[in-house]
Amino acid sequence: MSLEQLVDARLILVTGKGGTGKSSVAAALGRLCSESGRRGIVVEVDVFQSSMPDLLGRTPEYEARPVAPGLDVCNITWQLALSEWLQRAIPVQRLVRMILRNRLVGMFLDATPGVREIVILSRIATLCEQYDQVIVDLPASGHAVALLQVPWLADDLLDDGPIHQRAGEIIALLGRSDTRLAVVALPEDMVVNETIELVEHLAQVAPVLGSPVLLLNCASSPSLSFDERTLLDRLAARVVADSPAAELVAAGRWERDLELATAESLQRLSSLGLPLVELARMGALGGFHGGPEVVVRQLARALARALTQQTGEQQQEQQQEQDGGSP
Amino acid sequence: MTVGAKLLHDHKLLICVGSGGVGKTSVAAALGLQAAMQGRRVLVLTIDPARRLANSLGLSRFGNQAVRVDLPDEFAVAEGGQLWAMMLDPAHTIRDLIHRVSPDQATADRILNNRIFLAIADSIAGSQDYMATEKLYDVVTCGDYDLVVLDTPPVKNAMDFLDAPGRLARLTDQQIMKWFLAPYDKERIFGRFLLGTSGLLFKLLGSIFGRSFLDELSEFFQAFRSLYDGFRARSIAVIAMFRDSKTAFLVVCAPTSASIDTARFFLGELRGRGMPCAGVVANQTHPVGEIVPDAESVLGGLCRDLDGDLSSHTTQTLLARLGAADRRLRELSALETRRLVQVRRAMGGGHRFWLVPRLPGQVHDLSALHRLGRYLAPLVPPLEG
Repeated sequence: MSLEQLVDARLILVTGKGGTGKSSVAAALGRLCSESGRRGIVVEVDVFQSSMPDLLGRTPEYEARPVAPGLDVCNITWQLALSEWLQRAIPVQRLVRMILRNRLVGMFLDATPGVREIVILSRIATLCEQYDQVIVDLPASGHAVALLQVPWLADDLLDDGPIHQRAGEIIALLGRSDTRLAVVALPEDMVVNETIELVEHLAQVAPVLGSPVLLLNCASSPSLSFDERTLLDRLAARVVADSPAAELVAAGRWERDLELATAESLQRLSSLGLPLVELARMGALGGFHGGPEVVVRQLARALARALTQQTGEQQQEQQQEQDGGSP
Repeated sequence: MTVGAKLLHDHKLLICVGSGGVGKTSVAAALGLQAAMQGRRVLVLTIDPARRLANSLGLSRFGNQAVRVDLPDEFAVAEGGQLWAMMLDPAHTIRDLIHRVSPDQATADRILNNRIFLAIADSIAGSQDYMATEKLYDVVTCGDYDLVVLDTPPVKNAMDFLDAPGRLARLTDQQIMKWFLAPYDKERIFGRFLLGTSGLLFKLLGSIFGRSFLDELSEFFQAFRSLYDGFRARSIAVIAMFRDSKTAFLVVCAPTSASIDTARFFLGELRGRGMPCAGVVANQTHPVGEIVPDAESVLGGLCRDLDGDLSSHTTQTLLARLGAADRRLRELSALETRRLVQVRRAMGGGHRFWLVPRLPGQVHDLSALHRLGRYLAPLVPPLEG
């Protein structure tokens, strides 16, 4: 699949190792959706400290609230998702109230494995009926896997009843061709390791999800020529420590190390054979001056650029195929 | 003795907390190495270290076994100093735990073979932090180590780790067990007649979950019920260990806004829970020296001495590039300083602050851990105002 299929999807699930910027990427995908004129929503999953006030300018609540033309944001807290789910499963309001008010039933539902995950995923499925695009900022790596595999566990453990049925519906939703997964990574050794493990793990527990798009955030493209690198190395061997000259050389080596780490990460990630998109490091674009909202807008621009580039390449390939095919 | 050295000397347990990707594992391992060099017997307990770091510490991927880390002579380890490392295997730990708190083998087997237990043990998240606290208690109390340094697992929400000790005790709470198991205790058939609200609620739960699941769940809870006292005693002991004066939490952060929010949150939570916090380690920072005059005047001469065999504009373009890189690094550094002021404002009296630069390359061998550890010894002076 391509980046184009990702940004056109009905349901986009964004995950990655903690600290890679998946919330920023989710917010940027939301901005792109808003600009395309579709109705979209950025969804956080039961987070205690939301990143969205910084990224999109509004603290999300359970109910969807607007942040931009055609773009809403929400945070699915499990208690409210549970009450919504009960109302859906039990048509008699009096009985729903009775369940919700009973402290022991509350504790029971809290303690029963999988209930949280199912009601949260159920809410996501409901949002998919109401919006053109739903962008979910999933929890980090292992926690995302734990959330996504619950429908299969429920399908396996429960023989009948509304949870079993809903689990089946969620599995069907996750298997749709317009449900797409994005995994955000950084050009760092440890992050790349975990990203590779995560992709393998997800393919095991939720194979219907299909292959993800990898987004390498904070990428630095190589910019030094061979001669410049050679001269930089020679300078490094000659400058006196703690001198102004050493400061300058250190700054140059800092950026060169970032470029090397990006190249190495790209090489390792490309071994997975998945679509891989570079999102440039914000410092290089002047992003240090702005706050998180500026970073989100820049990320949205970077995604849009990568999209045009990729579409252009595809068209070129198609053109070449056509040219080659015609006598 | 420096404050960092004193920290390692005066405590029996150091717990590194913070958001993912800030180098908690490296900081924990570096502290462990420093303490061992001071002559203490140290265990570094970690969940999922980067592979190369694990290799350099001699850890295999599975285990729950402490492994002695061989420290070459160049580390000048004081007499008696030993460094051990252990990688936690949550699935292994939970099985050990069930065996330990079960009154008999039959109860343990019933739990270990229950499908719901298997689902929780192997896949439901949240068990990792619980298992970390569980294993932690064992290694701190076993008497084999003078100091245990814990690298906490990545958590979904910051307080998950601090809340972990009580989690299984809550799951096995007597009240809810009694209520849920009432119909099973008398007669192990779910469909029997029950009167009043309870009966109605049971019917509702049956229609929501399906009866076979409730039957299986009741078996799980029934087996777990006998474990309640064991879990409760353990959770009380772990919380007491968290609050002990020989324990210190270290909040590790990187100078990014998300990581700093988490750090501030931890500082508040630890204070609210009466858990001792030693301070904040700001890792992966980009400190800069004094402003550099223009690149040409500083490096132009040297460049031209060295560029004889290189293409004609190399010196010119590289100098422009170094000047720009220096400006960008200074911008980043200034931004980080502004962010770190927020953390330092959130710190309380007695909290320490360590500023650790991002080390070139990855931290995955003993000498890199040693370099990192040296930054943890000196202190940044207190914040003015």
